Amino acid sequence: MKIRIKHKTDFSQVDYLIEKYYDGLTTVDEEKQIQYFLSQPDLPERFEAEKDIFGYYDHKKKKPHKSILPYFRWASAAAVLAAIVFSLQVFMNTNRSNYACIDGKKIYDVHQIKSQALESLQEVSSKTNEVEDGFKNLNDYQLIEQQLDVFSGL
Amino acid sequence: MKSIKKYLVLVLLAGLGIFPNLKAQNDLQISRVFELYGDKKGSVMVELTDEMLEGYDFSLFKSITINNNLPAADYIRKCLAKDEAGAKKVKQVVSNGVPTSIYLQLPRKGQLYRLILFNETYKPVQKITLIYIESKNDSEDVLKLILKKK
Repeated sequence: MKIRIKHKTDFSQVDYLIEKYYDGLTTVDEEKQIQYFLSQPDLPERFEAEKDIFGYYDHKKKKPHKSILPYFRWASAAAVLAAIVFSLQVFMNTNRSNYACIDGKKIYDVHQIKSQALESLQEVSSKTNEVEDGFKNLNDYQLIEQQLDVFSGL
Repeated sequence: MKSIKKYLVLVLLAGLGIFPNLKAQNDLQISRVFELYGDKKGSVMVELTDEMLEGYDFSLFKSITINNNLPAADYIRKCLAKDEAGAKKVKQVVSNGVPTSIYLQLPRKGQLYRLILFNETYKPVQKITLIYIESKNDSEDVLKLILKKK
């Protein structure tokens, strides 16, 4: 049985249903009727509390459905961009060229590059040897002796 | 929605920032030296990767030799001083208060051992040599190999 309530004509039925609602005895259908009634404009003030209660449910019900499509669009755009950047980086790393740059001019001749590399290695290796030798020759005993020698004349 | 967009932009920016650092040398100050002086007159820059350095077993060899450029030497020393802060081992020869020969053993980056060698000579002309090496072998072994092959 459906009751169509016109608030101007009959509040008693609504009062009855609200009372039933507070007692927890209403059916879903009856609650819908109360909701329908309360959604109408220009209701007496005494229905404010019920309006709040049902308004809350109503608001919850009417919450706009968010589409996830834009998120997917953004995510896919970001993924594509990240993939491009990553590919470029990997390409750049794997494609490290072997070259020598002499006075601003790039050369790719293997023998020339190698000889330049060896030349620079030899340049530092002689000095590195000096460092190594220096460390070998110098020990704590000698250092202390040298430092004490300074005071021997006193 | 706005926060999601912001989040994605941040992720992308972070990605763009992280990927270039896949190159192990990029976190070092000396990488600027190669960029700055590599194509200048009076400079010789060399870059070699694994397949050409079989004898040495380097993953990457990068060197630069600069002639008659005192400001460059000072700049390199400043860069090395910054890289030295994170170095595992430092050896240097100081002449008249100025480091003329520096060896830096850097912490590993991934599987790669990294080392920097620097040398400056004044005779017959002022000459700077800076070398950056990446290798899967221990830095000490690499150094020994360099000295052995001298």
